[in-house]
Amino acid sequence: MSPPILEVRGLEKEFQLSHSGAGSLKTMLLWWNRRTVERLAVLRGIDLTVMPGECVALVGRNGAGKSTLLSLLARIYKPTRGTIEVRGRMAPLLELGAGFHPDLTGYENVVFNGVVLGLTRAEVRARMDQIVAFAELERHIDAPVRTYSSGMMARLGFSVAVHVDADILIVDEVLAVGDYAFEQKCYERIESFRQAGGTILFVSHQLDSVLRVADRCVWLKDGLIHASGKPEEIVEQYRMDAT
Amino acid sequence: MRAELRELWRFRELLWTMIERELRIRYKNSVLGFFWSLLNPLVTVLVMTVVFKYLIGNPTPNFSAYILAAYLPFMFFQFAILDSAQSVLVALPVVKKVYFPREILPLATILSNFVHFLLALGVFFAYLLVIWVLNPGESPFNVTIAFLPGLLIINLALAVGCGLLVSSLNTFYEDIKYVVSVGLYLMFFLCPIMYFSENVRYSKQLGESGDLIYTLYHFNPLAMLSTAYRKVLLDPQQVYVDGQLVEPLPLDWTWVGVSAGVSVLILVGGYALFNRLKWKFVERP
Repeated sequence: MSPPILEVRGLEKEFQLSHSGAGSLKTMLLWWNRRTVERLAVLRGIDLTVMPGECVALVGRNGAGKSTLLSLLARIYKPTRGTIEVRGRMAPLLELGAGFHPDLTGYENVVFNGVVLGLTRAEVRARMDQIVAFAELERHIDAPVRTYSSGMMARLGFSVAVHVDADILIVDEVLAVGDYAFEQKCYERIESFRQAGGTILFVSHQLDSVLRVADRCVWLKDGLIHASGKPEEIVEQYRMDAT
Repeated sequence: MRAELRELWRFRELLWTMIERELRIRYKNSVLGFFWSLLNPLVTVLVMTVVFKYLIGNPTPNFSAYILAAYLPFMFFQFAILDSAQSVLVALPVVKKVYFPREILPLATILSNFVHFLLALGVFFAYLLVIWVLNPGESPFNVTIAFLPGLLIINLALAVGCGLLVSSLNTFYEDIKYVVSVGLYLMFFLCPIMYFSENVRYSKQLGESGDLIYTLYHFNPLAMLSTAYRKVLLDPQQVYVDGQLVEPLPLDWTWVGVSAGVSVLILVGGYALFNRLKWKFVERP
């Protein structure tokens, strides 16, 4: 059996809550003795192993730590304690179209976004036609992104992310954007990505989509893994808990 | 620091793309974009020349070329620092959603300003050529121009060091940029741009302490670089001090070495601070 593609051990993350909001030198100098620092433990020891080809869904209430976990995997934060080991290229989709610059054209933004996700400029240009065709933006690709609707922006962002040949897709509640037809297309794309051996880790509040795509469901509660197992069972328990 | 540099090298493609993007945005909305951005230094130099030559009556020949030779590098430094101060803060929404080495943000602003500076130097040489054609005589181009790349490297190291320092601090304390812009304004007068370093050395007002002040003055790498750019790019010429012309001082390479040392120290220190703070950017209060 091949080694796990993602291994998380004893992961903890604490944030500092600041009530003074010291955002300037002036505030710091004036209120240095009134600073109140409170620590907030968002993740309190997560162990998670994901095998290649698996599709894992994360469910849990707001504030359970789902997005923090994904951000940690995407290397936005540094863990307070614990380790994360990734074997392969990861494409985090924490927000569609993150990093799009409104004054540049769709084309230029695709190049930029593709490079951020780890391609070279030549590789992005080679895939440009596919990316644009998938996003259905042939007529708009040379227009500045500020003229795009939010749906168009999201389609372009998703299209770039699924065309970078990642081994792991990390998706944070972003499929609920485009219209119904585009959503179907996204699911088809995710399905073919999985058939090609890709691994997916996603957060969703739409329990139907969890049941539809996931092999395994992980329920996060108060920064800990509350339960993990077959999607049908976990979703059932989660629903019971909520009502 | 070596691991961080290796990671940066892995993301070099992103750095090039960002530099290209910055230049594109900068020159985007007009074909004349580059020339508009030269308007400021050219007008400044024109005003300074008129004021010093005709109002104050400074008879130094070719004064405008000497101002330009020191003002263009200063402008590069000024804009590189001011732009990089905001670079992380402006990109914070992206930084919160995508991973890449954070130092790419200030580096891209500084390097795109550097490219702009190189283009401006090209215009400077064109300017010398025009003056030469209008006023034929000895060629204004010296062999010492061969030292220019060395000065450019020191200047870039200094700008990157200061830029990393300022951008990381300004992310947490947003008023740092005001302090920095006042500092840069003072720096303009602390560098030999509107005057010559010989003015400091030979000033009668300073009297006995002129020597000491001249030495202290050159601990500032930016002041030393301004002098060095002048001496390397243009012929040394007599300087007007207190009503008389004095012989120019030769370029002291020891001081260029000191500037290089100070610049490298600032570079290493700035990068170390940036690396300590960069993981906190997304968690800033």
